[in-house]
Amino acid sequence: MKQKFKWMLLPLLVLSITFSYAQEKNITGTVTDQTGLPLPGVSVVEVGTTNGTQTDFDGNYSITIEEGNELRFSYIGQKTVTRVVGAGNTIDVKMQEDAQALEEVVVTGQGSGIARRKLSTTVDALDSEDIDKLPANQIDQILQSTTPSAQVRLSSGQPGTSAIIRTRGPISAATSATPVIIVDGVRVDNLNSNPQLGIATGGANVSALADIPVESIERIEYIKGGAATTLYGADAANGIIQIITKKGKDGKSSAYFESNVGVIKATTDFLRYDRTAEAIFEPGWSQEYRVGLNGGSEKFSYNFGGSLYKDDSFNDINEQIRRTFTFGLTAKVTDKLRYQGSFSFVNFESNLDYNANTSFSRFSNLEGSARGATDEFTDEEWQGELARVRNIGRLVDITNTTNRITASNKFIYDIDDALQVNATIGIDNRNTVQEELLSNELQVALGSIAEGTTDQGALTRVLRSAFTLTTDVNITHRANTENFSFVSILGGQFFRTSDRQNRLNGSGGVDGTRSLNNFSEQTFSDFVLENANYGLYFLENIGIYDVAFLEFGGRLDQNTASGANTDPLLLPKIGLTYNFSDHDFYINSGFKDILSTIKLRANYGEATNFAQPFSQDRTFAQNPFLGGPSFTFDNQGNDELVSERVKTTEFGVELGFFSNRLFLSGTRYIGITEDALFTPQDPPSSGQANQIQNIGEVENKGYEFALTATPIQTEKHNLSINLSYNTNENLVTDSGGAPAFVVGGFTVLGSVVEEGQSLGYLRGTAAVLQDDGTYAFEPNTALGDTFAPNFGSMGINYTWGDFNLFATADYQFGGQITDLSFLLRHLRGTDNTGIPEELIGTTSPFNYVNFFVFDNDFLKVRNIGASYNLGDIAKPLFSNIRLGINVTNPFNWTAGSFDPETTGSGITAQNGFASGGFAYGTESAPRTYIASMRFEF
Amino acid sequence: MKKLIIFFTAALIFGCTGDFGDVVDFKEVENPNLSEASVVGQPNSATIWLSGLERQLALVFQETLILAELGSDNYVNTQTFFNQFMDGLAIQITDPDMRDTQRDIQRLRELAIFGINEVGPGDPNYDAETEAEFNYFEGLAYLFSGMYFSALPAEPVGVPVTSEQHYLNAISAFDTAIAINAKPEYHLAKARANYYLGNQSGAVTAATAALALDNSFDRTVRFDESNGPSNTFEDALYERATFDDLQPLPTLDFLDPKYSFLSPNEDAPVHYMKAEEAYLILAEAALADNDIASARTNLTSLLDLIATREVRSIDDSIEQRSQVDEGSRPDDSSIVVNGRSGLVLSRQDGNVDIPSVSGTSLTADDIAAMQDDDAGLELLYRTRQEVFIAEGIRLVDMGVKLVIDENEILLNENINEGDPGTVAVIPSFIAAVVSDLDAINYEPGSSVATTVIDLNEVLVANKSSDQVVPFE
Repeated sequence: MKQKFKWMLLPLLVLSITFSYAQEKNITGTVTDQTGLPLPGVSVVEVGTTNGTQTDFDGNYSITIEEGNELRFSYIGQKTVTRVVGAGNTIDVKMQEDAQALEEVVVTGQGSGIARRKLSTTVDALDSEDIDKLPANQIDQILQSTTPSAQVRLSSGQPGTSAIIRTRGPISAATSATPVIIVDGVRVDNLNSNPQLGIATGGANVSALADIPVESIERIEYIKGGAATTLYGADAANGIIQIITKKGKDGKSSAYFESNVGVIKATTDFLRYDRTAEAIFEPGWSQEYRVGLNGGSEKFSYNFGGSLYKDDSFNDINEQIRRTFTFGLTAKVTDKLRYQGSFSFVNFESNLDYNANTSFSRFSNLEGSARGATDEFTDEEWQGELARVRNIGRLVDITNTTNRITASNKFIYDIDDALQVNATIGIDNRNTVQEELLSNELQVALGSIAEGTTDQGALTRVLRSAFTLTTDVNITHRANTENFSFVSILGGQFFRTSDRQNRLNGSGGVDGTRSLNNFSEQTFSDFVLENANYGLYFLENIGIYDVAFLEFGGRLDQNTASGANTDPLLLPKIGLTYNFSDHDFYINSGFKDILSTIKLRANYGEATNFAQPFSQDRTFAQNPFLGGPSFTFDNQGNDELVSERVKTTEFGVELGFFSNRLFLSGTRYIGITEDALFTPQDPPSSGQANQIQNIGEVENKGYEFALTATPIQTEKHNLSINLSYNTNENLVTDSGGAPAFVVGGFTVLGSVVEEGQSLGYLRGTAAVLQDDGTYAFEPNTALGDTFAPNFGSMGINYTWGDFNLFATADYQFGGQITDLSFLLRHLRGTDNTGIPEELIGTTSPFNYVNFFVFDNDFLKVRNIGASYNLGDIAKPLFSNIRLGINVTNPFNWTAGSFDPETTGSGITAQNGFASGGFAYGTESAPRTYIASMRFEF
Repeated sequence: MKKLIIFFTAALIFGCTGDFGDVVDFKEVENPNLSEASVVGQPNSATIWLSGLERQLALVFQETLILAELGSDNYVNTQTFFNQFMDGLAIQITDPDMRDTQRDIQRLRELAIFGINEVGPGDPNYDAETEAEFNYFEGLAYLFSGMYFSALPAEPVGVPVTSEQHYLNAISAFDTAIAINAKPEYHLAKARANYYLGNQSGAVTAATAALALDNSFDRTVRFDESNGPSNTFEDALYERATFDDLQPLPTLDFLDPKYSFLSPNEDAPVHYMKAEEAYLILAEAALADNDIASARTNLTSLLDLIATREVRSIDDSIEQRSQVDEGSRPDDSSIVVNGRSGLVLSRQDGNVDIPSVSGTSLTADDIAAMQDDDAGLELLYRTRQEVFIAEGIRLVDMGVKLVIDENEILLNENINEGDPGTVAVIPSFIAAVVSDLDAINYEPGSSVATTVIDLNEVLVANKSSDQVVPFE
């Protein structure tokens, strides 16, 4: 053994001797593209070492290296160039475009990566550059107005609250529209509503989207369901957001430090009373520090990111703190085996005020004039009210702490050039603690207990632990004949989620404690959801003359949330893509210069959503009642319960003009949800609880258009514009004989599921003017569709040398929404705007709810940002300094006088349907002004 | 070497067997909830099932009290998210409170029947007392069906049966309970069913039988404040927040709030079957028989009984008459209502004494002066209103009936819109005064208040109607 060791040392010894004799020298040069334009950021590495650098903004580089060694130049979209260092001191490189590498590879929904041009489905992708520009800390904020066909609606301005994300219309009455979120192949908790046992603040709830790790993102892919999600089966019908994190690159190690400082200011655009702002709003500071490291060699690369964030919000009580770190690595274990690992930790602490559906809500009470219209208060009255509101704010105590750990491991084994095995295993563990301390002092201030009471304090603590395990193994085979190419994927996926909640209540307490031990009455409840989902999938993508691609495949899917009498579901998909402009005859014709891309695509695919686990079982409940047990009926059970199945057919065309400087994409989609999961009312005479059943059918049809244009593209200037327009027609085509049922909102003005209407449409009693001048009250009148049938986003991006300016906006029109604050004001007699005189005081306002429903149209500018790269002015300390400023939510135009986005109060159950039809009682997303400085090393 | 191979092969094979498979079996999930087998056939399950019936009854009262009290002249909804229509007696098949009320009543029936047929017989420790209670609860489900609905199914998606038939079903169930293990409340429940049927002799017999067993019985429905169901009506009257504010008719101010804070784990109970009702039925029957002496005797016994009932001294200073518009309603003890003083309490000057079981403004002098005339009957109805405030009786005395929910209409092939039971029953003399039911004349700060109408007068004026005053 010793002998062998010596022999192993010998080459090292020889090498070191050789090294010590080698001539070190400084090599400089310029790297350009094939047209001669300088290429900044090209990686220049001494082969076999970690010695490396990058070209600067003029394509220049400088590196110290021994003569005879090799330099490797690499850049995305260019063929890698290797040069041996000779006697000279200058090496200029002209790189050549690599058509193959330029092909964008899409990972999501395929099992393995496939070039975008081979796909018949559309994918919205954001790269790290797009993401870094945005000041957002939440995945929903990143996606808002940057994805062409998603509606991301911020339901409250309070910290960590959830956005309602929707794409191709409401497909399900049983679940939220939130897409599945996958980080490096691992599913993560995406609960976008209050947990089952969660503390109800009256509407605005902390969402799992708020603590999805957004550090170190390399790329986000967003697919909207249909054929693109078939291979994911299970609950992928709402689409998938796949986050791929940075794993480092070989080349020079780099690092950055970034500091963001901002001001957060509430928007007063939607307030009814100026005094609401005076009472509650208070501009706050935000501070954030980020660091990042990355680097590596051919065999091993790494990336680390960490951040600390704090803001004290736009009002007098909210705060949020976020601490994160992530790392990712890639290792070439052997020539055939690669390993990619990533890990992230997020700690998120925030507090909430009461909102909307609780009488404790300050904002809702002020805007709803619960204690009178504040604009009619005398100054003296107002001072009293102001002191009361601020005192309540001081005493409100609702906190939320989340710790989330996500880890992913991916193994890639190349059996040979044609055959590759991918295996992924990972976990996501999200633990949340919510606390609400309802002190005696607060209850006295709210007027709900008598002055001087000291023994009725209450403390509620909710613990939720969500755990997801994901494993996926697939084998990919690639083959090429002269005229055909084949990509075959066969795989199996398994995931398991468990959601354990415990709610602990203490009441009858004195003030000054946060321990449940100190409360005279203690109760608790628990809630468990567990689901195992497994499926086999296969996919075949056949290339025909490298212009047309036929894709077919499917998934055999089974999960433990189905009834006992059900079989696994077979979900097929098929797609056809025809890249007409890739024909040689076309390329050689003159047309290519004008109409550069012509791509036609069509596909059909099925994806599913499953019902809440255990809803298939017949159960009894044993409720605690007056200190003893008590039995009652619980779930009726349904042995036939299966996942609802969304069958989507898509046709699309993509046209690129003038070297794709004008690019148009159009898609027609028809999505039909069969066996839709409805929970209609059971006949009251049964005395039983309502049971979820596969009885419905929902249809969504629409068009998606996206346009990107680059009107200016010169050496120094670049101006690009993007614009999207989407339509959606939604209809419940079959309710299986079930009467209309309410899925959100209020008892007399609800969001309703009914055959022949849009899913979750608004229904209530309307007062309709008759010919004789009287009003007839028509119950169950359709008052509008909550899902805006027209929506889209737009953006502009301008670069002038080192300066960049961008803006994003989004819009919607054609839908309806209830202004509940107005309804409350009217109930309290303080606001009769637009209500016919004849109705006021003569009947219940709930008999003329049509006067509280308005258009939900808006156009909102979400971001305006500018950045400037100062370059290496601080050399050698920093390789670049970037300065940036960002303004979020600067401008709004809405059809009504209220914010149609603040709809957090409409979700009734965990992961339940969110119609977004009720604007009510919570603050809008604030304006933020953020300045950032980034130092790159 | 061979031995090593054998050893390791054996170890490997062992590793593939046994329980190690569990380590990689992630498919197993376990529903932590109770299956039917954990309930039916288990010792003591009947007692726990009975507790479930008590709990369900609390849920029934959560629904019925709000509807019945708002629909009557007892309370007005000044600003709550409790039912928005009943104040104006806008009784609609689309109102979810109609649905929830009948679902809870019919769930009570289904639970009772499942107890009688499945749980009881399966429990080795099932006893007569529990069996009698199961039948009593089945009877209560029919009784409430009859009290609040003109027609309602008596079985899942069944043919709607009339209010009268429900009362008869109730009597039959109470008789079964009485035969197994008689209790005074069983007799009173039977008396009430007979009373509303107008069956005077049946009502008198049952009321007398009830008092014979116990002349001060008081059966309550209890509420669990910490685990629920809590007493929603208490929230509306006392432990209110901004949205919870029901205001009583000023003539009933001294009886409000009947329910106040009890303890962190138990809410104030509703005294829904109490001996007072038997005396009131007997007194009303005596008046119908023109027997003023018996009527006086029964009312005197009633006063004696009420004198023994709990009166709670409570701090009600958060009550502002009303919460949004302080002082807009009578709120001082100096205020005279309808010419009578002492009906309104000052709540800002320390604790107030409020009867938590029964209270009345009736006095011994009133009884002595009472005659067998309409004024005497009005006095009796005023007393009924006072004694039963916040107990859901007044609406039934008014002859108003709720409607079958639209989901039942759509899902039950035996019912069509327009059928009896799907249309609200509001006696014409009530419909004529709907807007005045809760109306008062009161100038804030003044010392006089009047109610726009006296509903007891209206009821007695229409005593010949078969919708109200059953013995006349």
